[in-house]
Parts: sequence; C-alpha cells; structure tokens
Amino acid sequence: MKFRIYRYDPESGQGMANSPRMQDYELDYDPQGKKVLDALIAIKDTLDESLSFRRSCREGVCGSDGVNVNGTNVLACITPLEGLKEPIEIRPLPRLGVIRDLIVDMAQFYQHYRAVKPYLINLDPEPENERLQSPADRAELDGLWECILCGCCTTSCPSFWWNPDKFLGPAALMQGYRFIADSRDQATDERLDYLEDPYRLFRCHGIMNCVEVCPKGLNPTAAIGKIKTLLVKRAL
Amino acid sequence: MRRVGGAHRGLDMWLFQRASAVYMALFIPVFAVCALAVDTMDHETWRGLFAPVWMKVASLLFVVSLLSHAWIGLREIFIDYVHCARCVWPRLVLYFIFAVLYLGCLVWAIDILWSVQ
Repeated sequence: MKFRIYRYDPESGQGMANSPRMQDYELDYDPQGKKVLDALIAIKDTLDESLSFRRSCREGVCGSDGVNVNGTNVLACITPLEGLKEPIEIRPLPRLGVIRDLIVDMAQFYQHYRAVKPYLINLDPEPENERLQSPADRAELDGLWECILCGCCTTSCPSFWWNPDKFLGPAALMQGYRFIADSRDQATDERLDYLEDPYRLFRCHGIMNCVEVCPKGLNPTAAIGKIKTLLVKRAL
Repeated sequence: MRRVGGAHRGLDMWLFQRASAVYMALFIPVFAVCALAVDTMDHETWRGLFAPVWMKVASLLFVVSLLSHAWIGLREIFIDYVHCARCVWPRLVLYFIFAVLYLGCLVWAIDILWSVQ
C-alpha cells in the first residue's frame, strides 16, 4: 500500500531539511479489517521510527489520533484502510500549529473549551447523594455528552480557519450547549451572555463540515442552532 | 478592565437576516403570480403592476429586505476575511461604503416606484 505522510520536525535543524514535506512510504500490508492507525503503527515499526503521531486507546474513545486522511478529518483508529484512494495522504489536523509530523498543538482548541466553562455550575448546597434529574431532562444531554474532544470538527470548520482565536468552534460550542441544556445547571444566563457575540458564536454559518466529519456521529450545528434559539427566546 | 461577557451583538443582525429572507421568499412567488397573471407583458402592463399602493409598499419592503440582507451578509464576509493587525478602519470604511451605496439604492428604488402613476 502506498502512503504519503506529512513530515515536519521544527527541531530538526535549519534550512530545507527543516521545512514541512510529504514523504512517501510503501508498505506490504493487507488492508483487510485494518484501520489507518494500524498502518501508521506498522510504518513506524518497520519503515521509519521517526514518524510521530498521537494515539492511545486505538478504538475511538480517547480522541487523540485525529488526523486528516485524503482531505477528511478522521480518527485514524476507526477509519478502515479498505476503500481509501492510494496513495493515502495523511496530514495533521488543519489550522493548528504542528509540533511534529502528525502531532498538532491543541492549546487553542482547549482554550476555547475552557472558555465555555464545561462543568456544572450550581450554587445550591450539595445534596446528600447526587443532584437528581428526570429521565426526560437527562435525555436532553444525549448527542452532546458523547463528544471526545478529538478536534476533528473544529479543525474542519472554515469559520475556525478564518478566526481561530475568536470563534469558539463547533466542539466548544456544543460543550457549551451541553451545560446550557443541563437541568441541574444554574448559569444559563451567564453562559448565553458569554456566547452572544459576533465572533464566539455567530461566526457559525451552518457550513456543517463539523457534522460531516464527527467520528462519533454528533451534530454540533444542531447544538449551535439551539443556542441561537435560546438567545432569540431570551431576547424576545 | 476585562470584559467577561459577549459583545451582546450579532443576534439582532442574525435574526434580521432570517426575517428578511422570509419576506423575500414570500414576496417573490406572490409577485411572480401577479406578473404571470397578465395576458401580454409589455411596458404598460409592467408599469400597471406597480400602480397600486399596496404593490409599491410590498416592493419597497422587498428592496429593504434585499439590501439589508445583502449588507448583513457582506458584514459577515468582512468579519470572516478582512484580517489585519489594525482592521477596525478598513472594516469601518467598507461598512460605510456599502451602507451608503445600499442606502442610495433604496432612495433610488423609492424614486422609481413612486414615479409610477
């Protein structure tokens, strides 16, 4: 199988050797039942031990191996090799700084995540056991809590590409809504105050790349739409 | 001092852009029906379409919707793409140019519509 993989090591020295490049690999590999991550590990094992990428759980739970394969953001560990057009082009997630090869700097992504205060804010005294929720209220959180913060959606969003420092991006906005929708949370107004901004929220133009690439099949655009609906309800 | 809340802007424009789209979506088929209902379309019947006051008002609202929809859309494009270290001035100048241009179009449209007797 033929692979073309983005290589860049800012610490490798000066000049041409230090500029980002695409490197070709040819791997004798049976793609049957294998995922992109299996091939990356095989390349690192047998062809080039300097190839760097993140991975941990290798089954689509940890969200650490988000990469761009043939132009689409995916989790390498759950993307089948079969059916991919060769040479399979693997690049780091777009728009984030590259630390090395396929490893990107997620600082900006996490900063936006922190900004939406992704935790329950409830000033009532803590109950004996837990804060209870009706099954219907709990169901509101389905399709939101499953996000693993892999960054595939946010880095596929053109609005994030143009304003990465100001637009929160689909992942952070969906996590913002996850706590707005939580019946136990008491900071809805403050959360909406924070989001009501031409940049933070309203850079979303409903392009829906986020929905297309989400490896967990979630719908950040719908969550953003619900935030907008709540803002309208609040304003009228 | 740090500002912790949002700018509290954007919602009004976002909502207005949708409202203007709804009006245009309603007006265009209604106008198309009116225009297709006449037997022969010539300059006189075309002028006749705009003779009633309700059609003048409806058309003017359409122009207002179209221009505001377009201006808000342009504003979005400028925010998306006009980037620099000191962007406030270039952006303000762009907003201003297009606001003047579109307001000019609006006045012109009023003049045209109310010139029809």
